[in-house]
Amino acid sequence: MKNIVKVVRDEIAAGNVGCKTDCPYNPCHFSGQNCTFCYCPYYPCNDERLGKFVEGRRGQKIWSCEDCLLIHRDFFVEHTVSKIKELGLEAGDPRFLTEVFPEAVEKFWHRGKAVMVVGATSDAGKSITVAAIGRILKRMGYLCAPFKSQNMSLNSRVTSDGAEIAMVQVLQAQAMGLKNADAHMNPILLKPMGNTRSQVVVEGKPFADYEVGGYYDEFVPGPGKEIVKRNVDFLLNHYDYVIMEGAGSPAEINIYDKDIANMRAAEIADADVILVVNVEWGGAFAYAVGTVELMPEEDRRRIKGIILNNVRGDVNLMRPGADRMEEILGIPVIGIIPHLDVRLPSEDSEMFRGRSSVGNGPVHVAVVKLPRIANFTDLDPLYSDDTTVVFAESPEDILDADAIVIPGTKNTIGDLQWMKDVGIYDALRQMKGKVPIVGICGGYQMMGKLLSDPQGIENGIPGDYEGLGFFDNTSTWSSYTKRVVRDRAVIIDGGGEVEGYEIHMGMSDVKETPLFRMTSFGREKETEGSVRKDEMLYGTYLHGVFDRPAFRDLFFSLVSRKDRGTAPEMSVEDYNDVVDRNLDLLADGFEKGLDMDAFKKIFGVKE
Amino acid sequence: MRSVLFLGTASGAGKTTLAALYCRYLRKKGVDVVPYKTSNLSLNSYVTEDGKEIGMGQAFQAWASGIEPTGDMNPVLLKPSGNGRMQIVVRGEPFIDIVRGQEYDREKIKELGYGSFDRLVSEHETVVCEGSGSPVELNLMDTDLANVGLMRARKVPSVLVADIERGGVFAAVYGTWKLLPDDVRGLLKGFIINRFRGDASLLDSGIARIEELTGLKCIGIIPYETLKFPEEDSMSSKKGSIGDGNLHEEFVKNLDRLLELAEEGGVDFSKIEKIVDSSA
Ligand code: SF4
Ligand code: SF4
Repeated sequence: MKNIVKVVRDEIAAGNVGCKTDCPYNPCHFSGQNCTFCYCPYYPCNDERLGKFVEGRRGQKIWSCEDCLLIHRDFFVEHTVSKIKELGLEAGDPRFLTEVFPEAVEKFWHRGKAVMVVGATSDAGKSITVAAIGRILKRMGYLCAPFKSQNMSLNSRVTSDGAEIAMVQVLQAQAMGLKNADAHMNPILLKPMGNTRSQVVVEGKPFADYEVGGYYDEFVPGPGKEIVKRNVDFLLNHYDYVIMEGAGSPAEINIYDKDIANMRAAEIADADVILVVNVEWGGAFAYAVGTVELMPEEDRRRIKGIILNNVRGDVNLMRPGADRMEEILGIPVIGIIPHLDVRLPSEDSEMFRGRSSVGNGPVHVAVVKLPRIANFTDLDPLYSDDTTVVFAESPEDILDADAIVIPGTKNTIGDLQWMKDVGIYDALRQMKGKVPIVGICGGYQMMGKLLSDPQGIENGIPGDYEGLGFFDNTSTWSSYTKRVVRDRAVIIDGGGEVEGYEIHMGMSDVKETPLFRMTSFGREKETEGSVRKDEMLYGTYLHGVFDRPAFRDLFFSLVSRKDRGTAPEMSVEDYNDVVDRNLDLLADGFEKGLDMDAFKKIFGVKE
Repeated sequence: MRSVLFLGTASGAGKTTLAALYCRYLRKKGVDVVPYKTSNLSLNSYVTEDGKEIGMGQAFQAWASGIEPTGDMNPVLLKPSGNGRMQIVVRGEPFIDIVRGQEYDREKIKELGYGSFDRLVSEHETVVCEGSGSPVELNLMDTDLANVGLMRARKVPSVLVADIERGGVFAAVYGTWKLLPDDVRGLLKGFIINRFRGDASLLDSGIARIEELTGLKCIGIIPYETLKFPEEDSMSSKKGSIGDGNLHEEFVKNLDRLLELAEEGGVDFSKIEKIVDSSA
């Protein structure tokens, strides 16, 4: 405590006011944050709208400021600094807490406003709309958080505190300028396991497995609603806006009352709602009118605007129809958004849209199209002008490749069997040493010599399975445990940073030269992955391994396309920068297509 | 006069396949059936034996009906040729080339288009029609030929095919019904839910509600598996060369399998027959 008082005094005396970009943690919360009070003069304020009590090592209660954003906002800092000057406060002065704090909080703290984006169908463009709105508001100087109560997805990320949440909310948080997405933003994650069963992850941790029926009959009316409430409440306490995202259609009248992803969540957060309709497939007006009119009156009243999304061709052709729909529904069409060509990680893999390849570049990267592929956003950084990414379903696709990626899967052993059945297994063995091959997570496990599942955890059938034998490793599924961790590391041979996260059940006994050395705090002694440099074989558990340039650079540097001409200069930009630039393009596109006056009215944005 | 029109909640909802299936169903019962789609917007066309150019979908539906394709089956074909240019083919022959925004004799085309319908009606027992896109595009409805236009001009009873794959199927059915103009809404009799995965009983309460709100009947639910079979797009896929005899035999064989699957899955095509009969 004494310490903090001293630091605060020194900081103010030194005039260290503003954003400390030289701090290695900057920004620890959001871009453009004010770091003047890295050490807070109000500590401990004990105001649970801002911080929280945590348990100390000896079981005592400690006040934690980890969640506090107000202290990093310019207006709050400016007010505090002016009070310090006005009252001639010295650090540690009791008036900080008795006088200044209550007045400042009264003046500057307000509960955020919730606005929810629902879609007439899945794939309507909800996630992207949330990201675009978030970036637009961020550029206006607001602090926003994304929220999706329930997300069914196989694309998850690990947060800085080790929680597992959907990839999309992480992307949206980035759009809003937030440094660390957290589990509040997606408190319920459903990870489909097979036909009708899902693993339910609650607040970032595995909770239980449910059948569809059980989920709606037991989980939702039981813990479900409360989970939604406490998490959205938390965000509303800390942010100016919580931009919520619905799931699927909000008008599924067969499960209407059990649906906590859409209008029930809007009710819990008392959110205004924007309906997004994808125009691309036609029928947009029917979908919009049906969605609105099938809702009960009290829900319908929340809908403040409709966005017609993904219009190809002349957007003005939609206007007469939009005008007629406004008359019918009495709800304004607040935006007609053209199809935007932005490069962002997508929940819907190109692969699942029936495409057999992406791009037209000279380097042919074959990605094994595992039937139960997971975390396919790992591949996004590979799409570039220099590559043709082929989703390999047959041995020929593999034999024709300049480089090969074996991605992650929900079911390593099942998909290994599939590779054997279709002949890809043999083709991969033929290609060993001829082109670089990278296995990620499940793909890495397959590259080992043996996969052992004595209890049938992975595939329901106990047994030992022969891997590709590229590495001498053995992977074992010995218990129903899952490793979820975020990693920072460097390439041992040659350097260069990578960042990523591990999410897997089987554990590997590694007998190879490791690929990475960890740089994550406290784990500097650990290594990860396997490499056989002379055979161009690489394996890692790290999802996102291609995001930073270093490993991608290494991978592509090994490509030698004998029959396709000389190697071009590959673009090896940091994928995060690519994403950030595209988020700006996305927001620009929306700003152009939105009626900004109507938009500001919905959000209560003052000029 | 016996005819029925398959409408879709969106493009790609499965109209083409459903119409083909119904053609096949009737053909197997020995009915003299013929497909028809007033207008098609497509780059993929088929050239009939007598040199007429029509949309691929109708060619396949003709084979499903056990007959050879003719120009009447798709009397208006719009072929975009890039840069805002478009060729309009009428009854299989080039009619006019236009650029975007250019006016042309819509009335004449309409007359010829529906004239083809009348001829098919007089020559065959049942005409199975396919709509185009969604019938209720508020910005396009006034000039529509293949959906509301045909319903209005020839009082054709209709069935709506709704794709459940992306969700929002109840909204789509309700919204389509609601936005149909008053004078033709009564011609819409029922709906089919296409591409369903999972336990169909989960839909019961929703279907009952839609039936109650609209007076439409649910004709059946088609399981997702059927997607493996030719769809509007894949019919003209890179693999099959047009007019290849094998392609069309393969198609009919697949269609027979699909028909069995659909019937096993609970689609009762006799319900469509009843709709047709009661309106005949
Ligand atoms: S507030 Fe965070 S970013 Fe700013 S100086 Fe302190 S630790 Fe660094
Ligand atoms: S919660 Fe915020 S205001 Fe309160 S003591 Fe911590 S940093 Fe200061």
